[in-house]
Parts: sequence; structure tokens; C-alpha cells
Amino acid sequence: MDLAKLEKMANQIAANVDYGPDKDKVVATVTDHLKRFWTPAMRAAIIDAHRKNTVALSPVAAKAVEALPPPKTNAA
Amino acid sequence: MSTAYTRYERAADFGTPPVEAAKQVTLTIDGEEVTVPEGTTVLRAAALNGINIPKLCATDSLEPFGSCRLCLVEIEGMKGLPASCTTEAKQGMKVTTQNKKIADTRRNVMELYISDHPLDCLTCAENGDCELQDMAGVVGLREVRYGYKGANHFDIPKDKSNPYFTFDPTKCIVCSRCVRACEDVQGTFALTIQGRGFDSKVSASQNQPFLDSECVSCGACVQACPTATLTENTLIEQGMPEHTVITTCAYCGVGCSFRAEMKGQQVVRMVPNKDGHANHGHSCVKGRFAFGYATHKDRIKKPMIRETIHEPWREVSWDEAFEFTAKKIKGIQAKYGKGAVGGITSSRCTNEETYLVQKLVRAAFGNNNVDTCARVCHSPTGYGLKATIGESAGTQAFDSVMKSDVVIVIGANPTAAHPVFASQMKRRLREGANLIVIDPREIELVRSVHVKADYHLQLKPGTNAAVLNALAHVIMAEGLEDKKFIEERCDKEGFEVWKQFILDPTNSPEHVFEETGVPPELIRGAARLYASKPNGAIYYGLGVTEHSQGSTTVMAIANLAMCTGNIGREGVGVNPLRGQNNVQGSCDMGSFPHELPGYRHVSDPVVRSMFNKEWGVEIQPEPGMRIPNMFDAAVAGEFKALYVQGEDVAQSDPDTHHVTNALSSLECMIVQDIFLNETAKFAHVFLPGSSFLEKNGTFTNAERRISPVRKVMEPLAGLEDWEVTQRLSNVLGYPMNYKHPSEIMDEIARLTPTFTGVSYEKLEKLGSIQWPCNEKAENGTPTMHIGEFVRGKGLFKVTPYVATDEVTTRMYPLLLTTGRILSQYNVGAQTRRTENVKWHDEDVLEIHPHDAEQRGIENGDWVGLKSRAGETVLRAMISERIQPGVVYTTFHHPFSGANVVTTDNSDWATNCPEYKVTAVQASKVTKLSEWQLNFAKFTEDQLDYLRKAREHEPVR
Repeated sequence: MDLAKLEKMANQIAANVDYGPDKDKVVATVTDHLKRFWTPAMRAAIIDAHRKNTVALSPVAAKAVEALPPPKTNAA
Repeated sequence: MSTAYTRYERAADFGTPPVEAAKQVTLTIDGEEVTVPEGTTVLRAAALNGINIPKLCATDSLEPFGSCRLCLVEIEGMKGLPASCTTEAKQGMKVTTQNKKIADTRRNVMELYISDHPLDCLTCAENGDCELQDMAGVVGLREVRYGYKGANHFDIPKDKSNPYFTFDPTKCIVCSRCVRACEDVQGTFALTIQGRGFDSKVSASQNQPFLDSECVSCGACVQACPTATLTENTLIEQGMPEHTVITTCAYCGVGCSFRAEMKGQQVVRMVPNKDGHANHGHSCVKGRFAFGYATHKDRIKKPMIRETIHEPWREVSWDEAFEFTAKKIKGIQAKYGKGAVGGITSSRCTNEETYLVQKLVRAAFGNNNVDTCARVCHSPTGYGLKATIGESAGTQAFDSVMKSDVVIVIGANPTAAHPVFASQMKRRLREGANLIVIDPREIELVRSVHVKADYHLQLKPGTNAAVLNALAHVIMAEGLEDKKFIEERCDKEGFEVWKQFILDPTNSPEHVFEETGVPPELIRGAARLYASKPNGAIYYGLGVTEHSQGSTTVMAIANLAMCTGNIGREGVGVNPLRGQNNVQGSCDMGSFPHELPGYRHVSDPVVRSMFNKEWGVEIQPEPGMRIPNMFDAAVAGEFKALYVQGEDVAQSDPDTHHVTNALSSLECMIVQDIFLNETAKFAHVFLPGSSFLEKNGTFTNAERRISPVRKVMEPLAGLEDWEVTQRLSNVLGYPMNYKHPSEIMDEIARLTPTFTGVSYEKLEKLGSIQWPCNEKAENGTPTMHIGEFVRGKGLFKVTPYVATDEVTTRMYPLLLTTGRILSQYNVGAQTRRTENVKWHDEDVLEIHPHDAEQRGIENGDWVGLKSRAGETVLRAMISERIQPGVVYTTFHHPFSGANVVTTDNSDWATNCPEYKVTAVQASKVTKLSEWQLNFAKFTEDQLDYLRKAREHEPVR
């Protein structure tokens, strides 16, 4: 898994939906996007990298990743 | 689709175009009462009732001209013999179409025509299909009293410069049908009548050979010509066709209907279908003439396999190829997991074939790793339109543009990429509709004959979203919005949030000026124009989607249409112009890794259970990999096998180094295609595909129109593409048993709410169907969102402009943007194998004179083009169509390596690549790039491996 690309993609999603005072809603939008469009393996990789601090996520992206449930990675 | 062969005959011609009118008039023609819409000509009224008045200069694709004097009739109360083509039918009119006086006059007219016409009918290419010949017979011409020795035009040489048709002026009767077709139908105005009286002659541009003139080779003049003056070369070579089959073009997203005119299994010519709902009898150089690739010598007709990509191919039987493939796939899944394999569906293949590939991935591979080339073109359309208006498709029929009062064209170049629709749009513009073009380049529509944009917002590449936000800002700030529409049709909360966002001063034209480069007064003027006209329509292309903010821009387009009430009726709407013939269809058919057919997310248990039941498997509830995810995973060693049908990712996808690294990392690459394309050079299995002429199915065009594709010849490799996928699936252990593509469509209809009313039977009856087609709309839906949006209320989405990371630097001071040209199609695999190379035999780099001068670059010089991704070399073409600081090229030829330079930057929501913005440096060079040298060597090796395939023992 190319962590640099995942890091960039997550930050890009966060930057493009980050509008308005309700930051919880923004974070939820990013989390939902990751759930709807990223494979479980990609989500697992970014969760793991964020925990290990090997990716530099924006505050919104970081919270969104933290809100992701642990995915089952056997399918894809 | 049953292939119903129809005996060849010339298409019916009612003389003048149809008229739409609420009022009907009744007249008497030859004693019979006839009722027609008011405004209909006498010629047409007669033809509609089976009376075929002789004619030459009249044809129902053109407005009447009244020059040939053959369609003369007598009308009670009118002096002389008026021309029926220019005389409107009136209530109570009494018309006589034939008596001695009329007959004598017509015969005299014909006598004059024939006195200056070669009498070589028996050896003429149009023998048996010539209107002049027919009319000579109809009027009973038996002699030419003037003789043939007077002044004539018999010695004028033929113009054979155009590769597809011949211009023989000796046969010309100067009826002006060709000139009028070029003007009225095509809108190019390349032809004129030069000289007067006896000297009158048809002239291309300034009396130039056709190939050197402004002629775009659309074929409208050839179609209109009533004699053998303009004739297809294939007709000259092969003679008259004997049967015809109606089918659908396999080039762009306009999806033109064609009559394949045949001799046995040989295509004599492709003629645009007058009854075609998308094209109404018009065509472009690609669909009309560039079909020769289908029988090109490069076609691969036998399955091939090999263990590694560094060894010769081996021709094998279909059975051996399927066994080899299935063994590889199963072995890889056993070793690396079920998710280590995937597939890519094709936007060039039919709906049924695309549906089967995604079904094979989800059911036989057991994962959702399926994606389509729409990933790299219109995936942001799917995302953005679904989010705002509730359906991932354009809102209108093409004909809707004829009711538009103002048209915005953004990030699209219709005259090059969607030429038949461009002709229709130009017709509306000539009628007076206003035009706003938003594009970094001065595309043809900005300034061409009788078409001039009211505004050209020549923005810097990558700033679409900022410009669209500024347009909406002006509309809202100046109170130009449609308050009633917003109140009644849109989500109130969403609108209030958006309103606050859009009115922020950071979205004003003045604020975004520095970023976009567009003078604020132009944005203000364009916004007022769009908002003030009754019907405003937006057309957009890949110049919108292929950006890091592609999805944002699509949503901004939807916002703009909603805030002005420009959705839900004819003449308005949001219209994505799709690149390939079946981009819409491939997306509809569930080609995206997160969606099942009908754009329903795989996580939806209700939807999944329907498919589980029909398919007899458990579909995975999680999204699979997108194409770029597959490439990244392949490079990382986590993805090992890929099945690609009808796509050429090695040429079309960005950052070629990365793509070819990924492809080289695969243990099993399966390519199903008609040619050994660039991707196939990295393959271990080659499954020969069938062209659109060799199979049955359907394509869905940019206006959601499902049109039949009918087999006119047997597949050269023996199997239609859907049969290949089916047999592969069976060998993999997942049974598929369709006997005909109609059964696949029946399954699609059972599972997809927007397709429940679609069947081959109905397609036979109606000709084509625009989805949604279901119990609410039995004959389909030309205009969507009437009265209510698909999602209920239209949802305004906040669209902050986030600049791309791809910015100019001292090292890379120019921005490269990419596009297409008229004569070539996509990666050129088809059009490069036709005479279309006469117009474009290599990709060139357009560079502004200022930038060229700074670098000492002159026209035709080799220019090194370098980005952070790679370097290639192209010839320079100095052009003022682009602004200083921007360079432009196309990607039709693999050796050009345009995508060696483009980067992995992509749209935030969909990963659609940012083809339209790459920071580059251009400098004069004297040799090819290292990539090109390596590419040439690799290609040479691969072609050698192909040659060696045939040296092995023959396939049983």
C-alpha cells in the first residue's frame, strides 16, 4: 500500500469538504466518504499508519480516520 | 438484437424538412384532399401522400432552394408554374402535379441538364442510385435536341485528394445541395458556388483541393449530392450495396445511428440514418468514413498466451486460452487472496458486455475490484450529479439545444470531440442563441463562421470551480436567481448554507481574478446573460472533470443550473458530453467498484440481496479497488491479475511510468481487444475481441439513449465479446448461459429500476430508448427532473475552490493541458488504422508565440516536454489559440508519450486524473527522449513476439 498516496487522498478529501462551523459534520462527511469509496484494505492501512504516526493527516482527516470502524480486510 | 437485413434502397426523401405546427391545413392535390401542418410545402404534402413530384435541388434534410425548376406544379389562382418546394400549402389550395404543360416544361429542363452531362451511366459509380438518372426516366427524356458538342464541363479533372470521396465536377448540375449541406447541416461553410452562369462551379474553400480546404470531411455533401459528383471511394471501388442494417456508431458519446450498407459481409459504406434520434441523418469523418480499422491487417484473430511478457506469444485454441487463464486466476487467488485480482470494463463495448465483465468480477472473482475507463473521464460527473440532482446522467436530449436561448460550453470542444452535436448546437447559435465559452483555449466555437461567443472566459487551467462560483456569486448578489424554482424545487437547508457560502466576498469575480486570470467584468457579464435568458443550458466535457476539483466543478455546474431554474424542461439542463461511445452505459451497468448496476451502493443489503438471488452468489458488501488503487497495489505486490476488456490503460492513463510498472508487476494480465494495443504488450493472455460490426448489443449515449448495435458480419475471431466473457466465467466455475445479448438485457431490466421497461423487442419498435424507462415512463425519458428531482429536492452543495497542488515553479514554468482533435479518437487504436492519419499523423505541442520565442522554438522544432513525472519529445506548433504560459497537446499516438508527462494528481472525490493541469518545462531539443527510445525498443520486441506466435504449430 502506498501510504503517501493514501495520506494525500485523505487530506484532499478533507480540504474539499471543509466548510462551515460544524466541524463534526465535516469530519462525518470525510469518514462517510472513506467508508463508501475506499477498500477495507486502504482504510485499514490509513488507520494503522495514523496510529503509528507515519502519515501526516490534517486535523479533519485525522479525526475522520479515527472515527472509522476497523474494517474486515479479507474481501478486497 | 435480431439482425434484420433490409434490401438496399435509397432512403425515403420527402423533399423538404418536416414542419411542426399546431394548425393543420387541407388542400387538394390531384383531386385528393390532403391535410398537413401549416407551413408544409406543396412538395412535401404531395410526397407524404404518395405523390412524388420530380425534384433535383430539393431534399428533406435541407431548406428548399427553388433552383432546379423540376418540381413545378400548377396551382389554381396562381400564375405560371410555381416550384412546389418553395410554395407553402394553404387551406383550400388546388394543386395539379402532372399535365402536358408541366410535363413538357420538366422535359425541357432535363434536356438542358443532360446536354452538359456525361452519358456514361453504365460505368458510373452511381448507376442505379442516381437522382438525375431517375428524373430523366421520370420526365420521359428521349432526346437532347441541343446535342453534346456545345460548351460543356466534360474535361474538368477529378479531385481525389480526400481519402474517402471523389469530387467529379463533370457530373455536377450545380444544384447547391452540397453547399447547403455544408452550411445548414454541418455548419462549416467550406463549400461555395464560384462564378456565375455557365462558369458556376462548386468550390472547396478558395478553389482548393478538398483535403487542403476547410472541409471537415463529415460527408454531408456526399450524402446530399443527387448525382455522382461527390461519391464515396468505397462505392466507386465496390459498387452498389445490396442490403442494409441499422446500427450505432462506435466512436464518440453522440451515438449516431447509421445504415451499414452491405454486400454480403462487406461494408460498402456507412450512411447516417435519417431516422437516427441522436443525429437525424448527420455524421462526422470518424463514423461516416473511418470504419476500415475493423478489417485492418493488424486485427488479431486467434487467442494467444505466454508465461512472461519477455517471450513470444503462442497461438492457441479458445479452450486452451480459457483453461490457461482460469488456472492462473485460481492459482493467484489461492496464493494471494481473493482480492488480488480484478477487471476493467470498456466504454467501447456494449452494455451487455460491460454488464457481464462486472458480473464476472463480482460473482466469479468474488470481489468488487471492477472499474471502468470512466474513472479517467467522467467519474466526477457520476459523483457530482448524483449528489446534487440525484442521478448520474445528463438531464436532456440533444434536440433540447434547439430550444436554448443561451448556451454555456465549459471544458469541452464539441466541434472536435462531439462533432455531430456541435453541428446541431451551431445551428441553434446561428438562429440567435447566445454563447458563453469557458476554456483556457480559444476553441473553434469561440470564433468560427457565423458563430461567435458572446463571452470567452479564458481562464487559467485548474480554476473552473473558482469561475463557476464567481458566476453564481454574481447571480445571487444581484438578485438574478429564480426564487420560485429554488423555493419549490430545492432543499431549503442546503440552499441557505450554499447561499451564505456563495455570497462570501472570496467568491466574487474581483477576488478570484488573480487566481483565474478572467477579467471580473467578463464574469459579471456572462452571469447576467446566463441568468437573464428564459432557457440556459450548460454543456461540459473532460475539461471540467479531469481536474483535482473535478467533482466540485460538476456540483458547481448543478448549483448554477438550479439557482437559475434551468433544469426540468427542454432547452435547459446540465449536459455532460461523454467521450467514448458507451461511457454512460458502462457507468449505468455497475462498472464502478462501489456500485451495482443502476448506481446503487454495494453496501445496501436490499439491493445486494436482489443480485445475490439472481446471480446465486454472495456479493461483497465493501467497495473494491479503483483503477489507480489497482496500479498502486500492483506496484506494492498486493495485486496480481487483471482482466481488461477493450481499454488501453498503458496509453490512456496518466503517469505512464507508474502504469507500466504496475502492469509489469502482474503475474497474469488478460487483455481482450481487437488489436495488440499498448496494454496488450504487457499481457500474458490475449483474447481477440470483436468490433462493433461483429456483434449484437446496445450502446447508451450521452443523452441516456440506448441504441441497438447489430451484427453485420461474423466475428473475425469467431466469438462476440460477451461470449468470450461468458466462456471464461464458465471455465472459472461460475456458470453463465446466455444464448443472445437480449437475455442479458432482460436480466439488466429485472435488476435495474431505471431499465425495467427496456427490451430488445421495444428497441426494435421504437428505434432507441432514453432511460429511465419503466412503468412511469414506458417509452423512456428525454428530459429528466420535470416537476421533481430524482432525489426529491435539488441539493445545493457547497463548492469551495481548493487549488491544485500542481503549480508552476521555476523548474516547470508552463502548464500543460491536453485534449482531442476531430480526426482521431481517444488512444487512436482505431483511427490511426484508417486514412484519418492524413489529417493528423502525430501529436504536436501547441505553444504560444511568446513562450516559443523565449525558448527559441520555431514551428516544427522538436521540443522536450518535461514534468515531475517524465519527459517526452513532440514537434512544436506555434498557436495563439492558447494563452501565454499554457501549452497543449493530444494523446492519440502512443509514441508521443503525452501521458509520460501527466502526473498521478487526481480528483479528490473520484481519483479521476488531472490530465488538464501539469506543470512542465518546454525546451528545444535535437533528439528523442529516453522514454521514447525505450518505448521503441520495447515495441519492436513485442511485435517480434507477435510475429513469432504464427511460427508455432497451427491451432486445431
